Amino acid sequence: MEWQAKSETAVLPETNGSPQASPGMREHSPLGLWRAAFREDRFFLVLSVFIGVFSGLAVVWFRFAIDWARLYLLGTGVHLTPARLLLAPTLSGLVIAVLVMRFFPATRGSGVNQTKAALYIYNGHIPFRTAVGKFICSALAIGSGFSLGPEDPSLQIGATLASVIGRKMRLSRDRMRLIAPVGAAAGLAAAFNAPISAVLFVIEEVIGRWTAGILGSVVLSAVSSVVVMRWYLGSESLFRIPAVELRRPSELIAYAALGVVGGLASVTFSSGIATLRPRLKALPRWTQYFQPAVAGLLIGIIAVLGAPQVMGAGYEYIDQAMHGQFTWEFLAILAGLKILATLLSFVSGTPGGMFAPTLFVGAMLGAAVGGAEHYFLPHLTISAGTYALVGMGVLFAGFLRAPMTSVFMVLEVSGNYSIIVPVIVANTVAYVISRGLQPTPIFDLLTRQDGLELPSMEEQREEGVLHVEDAMQRVKGPLLDADWTLDQALREVDHMENQHLLVRMSPNGWSSVTKDELLQLAANGKGTVTLGTLLGTELVPYLHPDHPLETALRYVDRWPVIPVVSRADFRQLEGVITERDVLERYREFGEG
Amino acid sequence: MLEEQEDPVTAERLPYYRLYLRQRPVILVIFTVLAVILILFTSGLARLYRAQRESLGTRWFSRGLADLNAKKYDAAVSDFRAALLYSRDNYTYQLNLAEALIGQKRTGQASAYLLNLWDREPEDGLVNLELARIASSQGQVQQAIRYYHDAIYAAWASDEEWKREDARLELIQLLLNNKALAQAQSELIALEANVGDDPAQQEQIGGLFLRALDYERALSAFRITLKSERHNGAALAGAGEAAFELGRYPMAQHYLQAEIAANPNDTQSADRLKMAEMVLQMDPFRREITTAERHRLVVQAFQLAGQRLTGCALPKSVTLGPASTQPSLSDQWASLKPHVTERSLGRDPDLMESAMDLVFQIERQTSVVCGAPSGVDRALLLIAKLHEGNQ
Repeated sequence: MEWQAKSETAVLPETNGSPQASPGMREHSPLGLWRAAFREDRFFLVLSVFIGVFSGLAVVWFRFAIDWARLYLLGTGVHLTPARLLLAPTLSGLVIAVLVMRFFPATRGSGVNQTKAALYIYNGHIPFRTAVGKFICSALAIGSGFSLGPEDPSLQIGATLASVIGRKMRLSRDRMRLIAPVGAAAGLAAAFNAPISAVLFVIEEVIGRWTAGILGSVVLSAVSSVVVMRWYLGSESLFRIPAVELRRPSELIAYAALGVVGGLASVTFSSGIATLRPRLKALPRWTQYFQPAVAGLLIGIIAVLGAPQVMGAGYEYIDQAMHGQFTWEFLAILAGLKILATLLSFVSGTPGGMFAPTLFVGAMLGAAVGGAEHYFLPHLTISAGTYALVGMGVLFAGFLRAPMTSVFMVLEVSGNYSIIVPVIVANTVAYVISRGLQPTPIFDLLTRQDGLELPSMEEQREEGVLHVEDAMQRVKGPLLDADWTLDQALREVDHMENQHLLVRMSPNGWSSVTKDELLQLAANGKGTVTLGTLLGTELVPYLHPDHPLETALRYVDRWPVIPVVSRADFRQLEGVITERDVLERYREFGEG
Repeated sequence: MLEEQEDPVTAERLPYYRLYLRQRPVILVIFTVLAVILILFTSGLARLYRAQRESLGTRWFSRGLADLNAKKYDAAVSDFRAALLYSRDNYTYQLNLAEALIGQKRTGQASAYLLNLWDREPEDGLVNLELARIASSQGQVQQAIRYYHDAIYAAWASDEEWKREDARLELIQLLLNNKALAQAQSELIALEANVGDDPAQQEQIGGLFLRALDYERALSAFRITLKSERHNGAALAGAGEAAFELGRYPMAQHYLQAEIAANPNDTQSADRLKMAEMVLQMDPFRREITTAERHRLVVQAFQLAGQRLTGCALPKSVTLGPASTQPSLSDQWASLKPHVTERSLGRDPDLMESAMDLVFQIERQTSVVCGAPSGVDRALLLIAKLHEGNQ
């Protein structure tokens, strides 16, 4: 049992990074308690709250900056003059290009990948200049009408602040690596006003794996930042949520249809980025000074031609789509134009996020599909608002390929759990279609285009995991018992070659011994002594069939044979595993 | 503790105060102070931000109101939408946007806003009234009735009674348009109870009672109006019509004559007056006429009925009773004709009853087969209706 417990805990990451952690009684003295309170793992949690507060404040300023940029660049009304629609994004594009090319080269793109790179490549290091550049350039871009959102930049700003704080605190390398996701969650949660979705997204897309060690810090920072943001900007969600209900199970077919449309739109969207981004990056460097301006001009033309809704994050139009303010034909056109405008904005290297455009396209597509279904199948009772809500999740699952986040995002935003079945159905369909037609998720695609290779949760999900049961062998020799005398044991193994023999100890545990060792003990006159007495303290660790095979690797070099026992009865041997078995299995696995 | 992790050599090089600043408790205090300072700064910024948005919202809303009052609905919609950019959940802005959208005939969009407002405040009178109007325009009568009722019993910001009456009047119009006369009469009775003796309102209610075919209440409403406004043409015409429909032809004649004197162009009232006078002149059962005159009127009515029968070409099979046992109306008329003279009527008082009974039957049957009569035949039919209870 002791060995088993150790082997279980050994697979978990270290939670106490401080070598000076005071064990036992020392912690109970006043000085010990004081020191324990500031141990790095506990201090990290407190730090997470501060990271959340600072990130929340930064996001509030970011929001102000975007709104002020919009007011002064585009005007205060809804009917904007053509001159402003054309000039604001074009001139801003020029300014942004100079800022990005000259001063803030790390601010290109959404920021999610950069944060992930900080975690996996740069030991959590993100320069403060990145946050400054992201703040200025993204606010200018979104405020002037580029089809980008504030969430991903907020994520990067939060991560940068966390990284700066971590560096100032001289945290250990392990902590430094983890601190960027903590800030990222805070930034995203504040920008999106949805802490659960932010935590899930950071785990799915930034960290790329489930790890309990950081979960507490991520949650704390996300919640703190949301509290700060709500303190200043109120707790209302980004859009007013319509009444949602699923009256008949047959309506799920309609949601599945939405999933199909959303999946195809996601593939179109990501394929566009995959194709255009490297081509524009490959153009001469001087062209990059003009790419955002050209993108801005084209977006301005789209707006002048009758679709100003595609400019900026567009949350107010999501709100209107949810409340049946547009015809289904216009909604479909808006979805298409928004994909185009976002493609132009993003591939031109303009800093800004893809969250909001994804939600916009999803909402428009959802409402369009809902409207069309109502038109052709008038007996369907689902409101266009419900479709828009589900549509947002669909694009999230299909385009950003964050299936868990996509479901929880819709639930969190709507506050209505009755929508969970339609969301799961539609998201799953979209996810499957998107994964089938575009195997590489968008964020992985972007990192590879940038020449980086970062771990991906989706790929990890795809990878097969080997278990001990895949490599273990049946027991070939006799199994010795601790109650047997040495002479009994020798009689049992008399006909055998010298090999490692397992001994079942009493009441629990396993030991091993070779035939030569038994013969040597017998020569010392211990033939009547039981094996249990002779081998009492020399226990061998044991494994269970469902343990990951990598767990076995920790022991097979020290013990030539490891017993594999049932979880229900530790004395029941399921098989044995040796170093050779493990290596052989890995070799076969590698060969496919 | 952090200082314990510090490389001793590095630690020795650091000035004392910097080493002190790296103590975690000290750092926490510094962070707390920094957070407080930033929070205060952000509070100031937020106040500025909110004030600016509020001001912009108010400015666009004022423009919207001006445009709405000027019935420039397109401009008003843009203005209110702009105002909502700065105060998305503002109830008044949304309500006015919905009004402007209704003005633009974009009832679908208006309905979406109103339903959202209704979710927030289901007892808002104006929201219910607008929703009722939209439902009514979309032919959703039951839903419209529900919203009208909610509007009638809802809270109103000002002029509560007046607005409730207004909502009820619209509901009555809807009910009348959809031939729900009994419901309309109920609503009218409720409305009448709240109106008092206001002549204009009584006149309006009288008109609605007329449409609801409640002539007695219509007459009484018009009479209340006429108490204060003796020469009110609409009330005179309405009272005349109500009295006419009630069969009170002398009273109808009185009101209609007054109306014609005041408004000679009122052809409808003139026709009605003519008919009332004809009924009065042709009715043989009037008390104030002589026996000879009565007999003359019976003979005249009998002859007119015969002409109507001939003109209508009533099928021979039409009888007063079962076809196999009763002769047809034509046969009856033909068999009775030689007897219906002024002299015979004087000799046989029962003959008058038989003759007029046949006249009334002929007019009723011909009106069914050949359509509503006009002129003297209509007068005879009205006389028939007038004396139905006596037959």
